[in-house]
Parts: sequence; structure tokens; C-alpha cells
Amino acid sequence: MDEPQYTVASDSETTGEEKSSSAFAEIAIGIDIGTSQCSIAVWNGSQVELLKNTRNQKLMRSYVTFKDEVPSGGVSNQISHECEIFSGVAIFNMKRLIGRVDTDPVVHASKKLPFLVQTLDIGVRPFIAALVNNAWRSTTPEEVLAIFLVELRVMAELQLKKPIRNVVLTIPVSFSRFQLTRIERACAMAGLHILRLMPEPTAVALLYAQQQQQTVHENMGSGSEKNALIFNMGAGYCDVAVTATAGGVSQIKALAGAAIGGEDILQNMMQYLLPNSEGLFLNHRINEIKLLGLLRVATEDAIHRLSSQSSVQVDVDLGNGFKIYKVVTREEFEQVNLEVFEKCESLVTQCLRDSKVDLEDLTDVILVGGCSYIPKIRNVVMAVCKREELYKEINPLEAAVCGAALEGAVASGITDPFGSLDLLTIQVTPLGIGIRADGNSFVPIIPRNTTIPSRKELLFTTTHDNQTQALILVYEGEGTKVEENHLLGYFKIVGIPAAPKGIPEINVCMDIDASNVLRVFAGVVMPGTDQPPFMEVRMPTIDDGHGWCVEALNRTYGSTLDLVTVQKKM
Amino acid sequence: MAVTSSLASFSSSTSPFTGSNFCTNQPHTSPSRVSFRPFRVSAACASTAERPTSYTATLTSESSLYEVLGIQMGATCKEIKTAYRGLARILHPDVAGNGQREGTAYEFIRVHEAYETLSDPEKRADYDRSLYRRGRQMGSPFSMSAATATTMAAGYAAAGFSGRTRQRWETDQCW
Repeated sequence: MDEPQYTVASDSETTGEEKSSSAFAEIAIGIDIGTSQCSIAVWNGSQVELLKNTRNQKLMRSYVTFKDEVPSGGVSNQISHECEIFSGVAIFNMKRLIGRVDTDPVVHASKKLPFLVQTLDIGVRPFIAALVNNAWRSTTPEEVLAIFLVELRVMAELQLKKPIRNVVLTIPVSFSRFQLTRIERACAMAGLHILRLMPEPTAVALLYAQQQQQTVHENMGSGSEKNALIFNMGAGYCDVAVTATAGGVSQIKALAGAAIGGEDILQNMMQYLLPNSEGLFLNHRINEIKLLGLLRVATEDAIHRLSSQSSVQVDVDLGNGFKIYKVVTREEFEQVNLEVFEKCESLVTQCLRDSKVDLEDLTDVILVGGCSYIPKIRNVVMAVCKREELYKEINPLEAAVCGAALEGAVASGITDPFGSLDLLTIQVTPLGIGIRADGNSFVPIIPRNTTIPSRKELLFTTTHDNQTQALILVYEGEGTKVEENHLLGYFKIVGIPAAPKGIPEINVCMDIDASNVLRVFAGVVMPGTDQPPFMEVRMPTIDDGHGWCVEALNRTYGSTLDLVTVQKKM
Repeated sequence: MAVTSSLASFSSSTSPFTGSNFCTNQPHTSPSRVSFRPFRVSAACASTAERPTSYTATLTSESSLYEVLGIQMGATCKEIKTAYRGLARILHPDVAGNGQREGTAYEFIRVHEAYETLSDPEKRADYDRSLYRRGRQMGSPFSMSAATATTMAAGYAAAGFSGRTRQRWETDQCW
């Protein structure tokens, strides 16, 4: 890298092993990298403290500008006017872009952002660039995130007067394991070591567990179990969790999430305020970017005001003859974003169903994230949960980072004389993990919402007579067909003894350890014969271009190396 | 018996898992650890090793799910949850110090599987019925030879689990 500000300390692929064991002496800090805002917090010995930047901000805009050759991020940067962020010089929304390929609808939605997101629609990573001296200068979401993380790290080191290495980062529930490796890569580039990656609502759940433990002071689990639903919606993602809490143990029952958030609401409203503007921004001319920036700021402002007012007047001159003079009511706003709200509702419903917690056993409903201020969102969640009231003892914008800081202290082995850190989170896998079998079907081996650490195995068999090899394609997701899911990696089993189809038994075992590292074991099970060694593969193995891999494998092997599931003998 | 003593530590009202007791407890290196981890007490008594023998080592692969959780067969749902949480506080790999110890992840998995079966009324009823048929071996879909089991155990051991812990406990889950 050219930038002197950060160095690549280690490759993420080699850092996982030490995750759970290294550096217990120093305390890990909690970082919440939001799509739009981010924050950093640390356990100060008696409580969680949010760190402020030099401008006294606890919540900092997540963006990096490339204005003067030297990139600078929203932690230290002083922006003269908000529109400057939207003038093409700044890259933001990196959490929506990281680890996604250019066929992803989320990437396509990002093409309306003021910086350059170019897609070729072939399943490779998109081209992302910032406007520097009238040229589009390329970068990557990982690089942008790393620059930002370095600024956060420097800020924390100055204030805490010690070097920072270990972090607990919050992540969206819907992130695939491939996306997690990109986050790890960005952290490695910034010289940070990830102690834990915590799905955002589980960080909130931990904070809730601590609050309950402090207020109740009751015997562990003896009748004081509290179930809470946590709904977290920021600019980029919507996450839901159901947790059962007692005695400082937060047992996650279920998770659900999707890449919908305030950004979608914003884009829907921009489209509504300036219809037929689809093609206008795709050429990324300077004037158009400016126009878009003004529209963005005006729309954002209108949405914020609609949280407290029933109607707002939008009056903005965008230049180039584009003027908006319009009164927008809350009903219109809710109609325009109907799909977003419906998706929120379905996520809450799904999470409740998966958790198997009855509505009457739900003690608290907790709403956090920037979108939790939107009345419609509150109504939707309260309606599904049949609640009149929401939990009030939590700051919606700071809860996730506080939870991450608590986990940072706990995972670093710090204890507290008053028992404030006697906490434990029992996590679950947000997405199912399995392999391709039975034709093009996705056969989950570890279903979603399985408690981790976990190990599960399933038996498969050959589809052809004398088939001596089998291809194991590992996917992650919820679709019944593999193409709806995310490819994590692939490998081949060889040395299957020649036998009629359906006879050889191939055992595929998946293991997720406490550091959330996934390993796949596979091999032939043939009693009494000389068997080849088992395969052990750490996932994900793929790096890029998922679509291409599958196409190439299909072209080369067809169905000759396929497997089918063995029906369970009961 | 370790099982009996662990049962006692949970059913008694003087369980160390009270808020006030937590407050006085120090991290894993301090001597007060013994009171923080009641299960180890029984295990550690029998062992002079610096690191106490892990809790499930006292159980065999034939132990019932009730024994795994250290509860009686007639335990209420609340007791099951309490026992599970108590064991999680000891065995979960995130508990300070467990990260370096091999096998706690496996032990936690085993406890969790027991909890999962016993906390679901339907699964628990199925399991209780199967307990009565315990005399004969359960029809296992994983009818591997000893050699296979060893191979797999060796493979898994590389993943951070000890070979010893490769047991047939999965078959108890009827999955």
C-alpha cells in the first residue's frame, strides 16, 4: 500500500487460530462500525465508556475522503459542509459493499451513491473509486474500512495512552462467512486483532443481560429468566435477536437479519421526491453528483423530521433546473417504504418463530439503531410482539458498542469486584451451513440458530456405480437450492472404494469452534477396509468470483462427482 | 460420585451461583476459583493435578442426559435451565481460562445437546422412552468400526478436540 498510515500486519487467513488464546493481558476495545456512523467504547475499570474524538463526538460519520491524496476519515476529518461528503471525494456505506460481488442487488442499489460503484455483472467484486483531482481513483471497501479503523485506533491510543491491538467488532447478522473474512482482512490491514465478531443484536443482548443482573441481584436462573426481543436497524442492515437472560448469561435463542436499512428508506424517498431520475446519476458527472448530494441531504432531513411531525415541507433547489417543492406526509412516507416495513415485520416474525419463545413469555422488546426512531418501525415491532411499550433503559445509538466493549472486557479475562463482568453470551449461527447434494439442493448440516461451539455430521453416498471421487461444495444460507446461497469453498474426496452407487458411506462433519472458525471434515466410512485419510478444510476457502467457480466446476464435472443424502435409519 | 455431588450443589439453596458470591470471586488464577466452580470441586478432590480433571471426564459415554446435566430424572424445566446455565458458566469456551484448555468446547456441546433434548417436552418424552430400552444398543446410523472411530477421532483431535472425547453421544439424540 502507498499510504504510510497503515501497514498490513498479517493476512486474515492466518490469524484465526490464535483468536481465543492470545493476549489475555490487555483489554479489548469495542467498535461498532455502522453503515453511517461508528463508535468506540472501552471498559474503564468500573463501567463502559464511549470515547470521543477531538470534536467531542461519540458517534462519528463512517466515511473516508480521498481529497488531498492522503485519505482521511470521519474520525479526524473536519467537513465544512455535509454536502462535501456527497461530492464524490468520500467513500461511505462500506459496510454495505464489503465482501459483495457485482451481481448482488445491494451493490446495484449502491450505484446511486455519489462515488463510483461500477459493476460488470459477472460475479466479481465491484470497482469502487473516489473522485480525486477530477479522476476516479480506485479503492476497495477493505481499504476504506482499514483507513477508518486506523483513525479509530489512533484516537483510542491517544486517549487511553497505551497501544490497542485487540478489538471486539459488531457485525450484521446477515453477513456471510466470506464477508467476515473481508472484515478480518480490513482489521489486519489496520493492525488490529479481532477477539470476537459479535452480531449487533447479541451485543445489545449482553448489555441487557448486565442491566438485568445488576437490577435483579437474584440467584442464577432461579425464576428470573427474562426473554427479550432485540430489533436493531441502522442505515445498512436490519437485525433481530431473541435472547433468554438469567444471572448474567445471555443465551441467544434465534437471530434473523437482512441488508435493509435507512439507506433503502432514503433511496426510496429520493426516488419519490425526484421521480424519473433513474438515469440521471449513472454517468457520475460533477454537476449530477452535486445535485444528488443536495437531494440526499434534503431527503435525509425530511425523513428525520417525519419521525416527530406528521408532515414536512421539502423545498430545495438542486440546480440544473431541478427544483423540489413538495409537502410529504407521514402516510406517504410509510406507503413509499411499505416493502421495507414488511421486511422488518417478517424478520421479527421469523426470529420469534425460530426462538420458540411464546409471546406471553417475552419480557422486553428492545429497539435500537437509527431507524428505531421511525414511528412506523416502532409500531410494526410492537404489533408483532403484541406490546404497548418498549424497553427504555437503553440508548438506541450506543447499545451495540457498549455491548461490544463489555464482551471485550469479558473475553480479555477482566473481572470486576462488583460482578459487573460476570457475563457470558451463548451465541448461535445466524445462517445454515451445508453442502450441495441430491442434485442442486442445499443440504444443511449445521442449521441456522444452532448454538456454537457445535459439531454435526451427516452421511452421504455416491450417485454413480464405481464412483471413486466426490466433490464437496460448502454453502451458507437459507435457500433450498444452492444457487440461492453463498459458496464458501469446495474440495474433492478421492479414494472411494469402487462399489455400486449408494453403497459407500461418506461422512461430512462440520465443526464451529468457540472463535466461530468453521472446519469441514469429510471422508469415506468403510468398515474393515484401508481408508484414505480424512479431509480437514477450514472455510471459507474461496476468495473472489463465487459465480465463476460454480460455473467452472459444473462445466468440468457436471454431475459425475455428485452425492446424495443417506436416509436416516431410525 | 461426582454426579451426586454436583446435583447437591445445584439443588441446595447455598449454591455458590449467587450474585453476592460472584462479587467476591477472583479470576481463574486465584484460589477462590474453587468456590466459583463447584463442579470442579468434586473432580479436583480426586485429582492432585494443577488443572482439575474436566467435569465430563467423570461421566462415561453411557451416562444419561440427566447425568450430563447433573439433575434428577424428574427435574422441572426450571431446574434443567438452571443446571444448563450453571454448567455453561463453567464449561463454555468463552469463560476466562477455558480458551486454552482442550476439550471444554466438547464438554459444552455435550451439555448443550442434553439441555436441548430435555428442555423440549416432546424430545424429552422420546428420550425418556428410549432410556427404558437402554438394555440393547441403540440402532446407530453411525455404525463405524473401531478403526474408523479412531481415524475420525484422530482427525478431529487436530481440530482442537481430544481423541478421548470422540464418543457415541450423538446417537443419543436420535437425529
